[in-house]
Amino acid sequence: MTAEEFKQYVKSNGVKKAAKEVDVVTTGTFGAMCSSGAYFNFGHSDPPIKMQKVWLDGVQAYAGLAAVDAYLGATELDEANNMMHGGAHVIEDLVKGKAVRLRATSYGTDCYPRKEIDTFVSLKTVNQAVLMNIRNCYQNYAVATNSSARTLYTYMGKLLPDYGNATFCSAGELSPLLNDPFYRSIGIGTRIFLGGAQGFVVWEGTQFNPGVPRTPDGVPKRAAGSLAVIGDLKQMSPDFIRGLTFTRYGTSLGVGIGVPIPILDEEMAKACAVTNDQIFAGIFDYSQQTRSRTVLREVSYSELRSGEIEIKGKHVPTSSLSSLYKAKQIASNLKSQIQKGQFMLEKPVQNFALDRVFKPLDVRTEKEAM
Amino acid sequence: MKTKVVLNFSPEAANTPITHNLIMKHGLMVNILRAEIDEIGGKMVLELSGKADDIRKGIDYLKASGVGVRPIKEGVRRDDELCTHCGMCVSICPTKALAFDPKTGKVTFTEEKCVACGVCIDACPPRAMEILI
Ligand code: SF4
Ligand code: SF4
Repeated sequence: MTAEEFKQYVKSNGVKKAAKEVDVVTTGTFGAMCSSGAYFNFGHSDPPIKMQKVWLDGVQAYAGLAAVDAYLGATELDEANNMMHGGAHVIEDLVKGKAVRLRATSYGTDCYPRKEIDTFVSLKTVNQAVLMNIRNCYQNYAVATNSSARTLYTYMGKLLPDYGNATFCSAGELSPLLNDPFYRSIGIGTRIFLGGAQGFVVWEGTQFNPGVPRTPDGVPKRAAGSLAVIGDLKQMSPDFIRGLTFTRYGTSLGVGIGVPIPILDEEMAKACAVTNDQIFAGIFDYSQQTRSRTVLREVSYSELRSGEIEIKGKHVPTSSLSSLYKAKQIASNLKSQIQKGQFMLEKPVQNFALDRVFKPLDVRTEKEAM
Repeated sequence: MKTKVVLNFSPEAANTPITHNLIMKHGLMVNILRAEIDEIGGKMVLELSGKADDIRKGIDYLKASGVGVRPIKEGVRRDDELCTHCGMCVSICPTKALAFDPKTGKVTFTEEKCVACGVCIDACPPRAMEILI
């Protein structure tokens, strides 16, 4: 069953029956996930080159690895700082089957004499093309609004002045980690739907922070957990991997992720029965230019999804940045893959450590950092 | 007669009392449909009503003041291949031409409601909304 179907089922049949009858619940989310990127092995040229600087369609990739490996980050902009074209767009072009221009320079060594190369590569020509995202699939996220007198352009989208709108970025009750709030079934080694292909969870996502405020049922009310994920870019689909531009912020990658959750017991069934009215997020004023913005208030996802929320007595229209349509698509796609036996569920090889905290960066002396 | 125009301001032009001058010096009725102005410039959608000649003079005045003027006749189109139905545009579209359909989870675009103000263009992450010129 998809998470949406499961919630309906629990409503009419109760948790006990649901825990007995249902094996797996499928979840999904599609949103801008900035900490994404892909690494490549281009193969060796003749004469060979130890690539020191690498550009793919004018966007620089990190090449401080062995000779012909490089990592292209989604938010890297092209050399003109053109926000319409960053690493995310190059990744999308590759997934669409396009060829992209590879340029590399080097200082030349005895074993790698070549000093530059200018050629074209595609997913067909490279040895490996692997999507490796270090922080995706946030468990929950902030709601952004703007009290100032000017329009703000942020990674949370366009925020109109004077509480003109509010944006949020979670699939809510369909979102993977909101259905497994304490990471019982999602851990290292979990097989997932990633960008249209099958991938894996490889680690906790960076900034993993399970200790945030939670509801009495354990549902986090702030960002909390996240996932580091990996998968074969060559198998992915442009339906679920998209280059995005946030005006005056930069580029980001739209990534589709789905996770199957085995209903191990009643507790798991209860967790997966959570609905939008039981999931809350904090509203933050993004005109406060500090890392610790104050929470204006908390709202439920059913309020957010209604299209309008109240902030300081004002009716404020809301926008999601996470596509519910694609989240639904992913959950039902995953469901049919499991039914056809094309997708095997994996028990985590290791669960996440729950004692992780989210530390700030301060300007400090060498001694203070020790 | 009536006409709708989209104005693009440079930071300098944003400080001149343009609408005031249109009304006082050119005898036009000005209806502000949308305004987005800050220190780095901005955009405004106006409906101008008055004599055809006065409207033409008003537009000439705007151009002379360094304001970009684009009449709205063309309209805005959505590339359905590109739209991911994220919903970003829903809360900023002034006419609800872009709206969320809770049944399907899709964002619908009703062309008849669109006034081509262009506010959604730079807000759409996959750049699915485009102005036809
Ligand atoms: S912002 Fe763009 S992609 Fe998102 S729903 Fe609107 S038109 Fe579609
Ligand atoms: S141009 Fe975009 S924001 Fe403006 S009315 Fe049309 S759809 Fe709405």
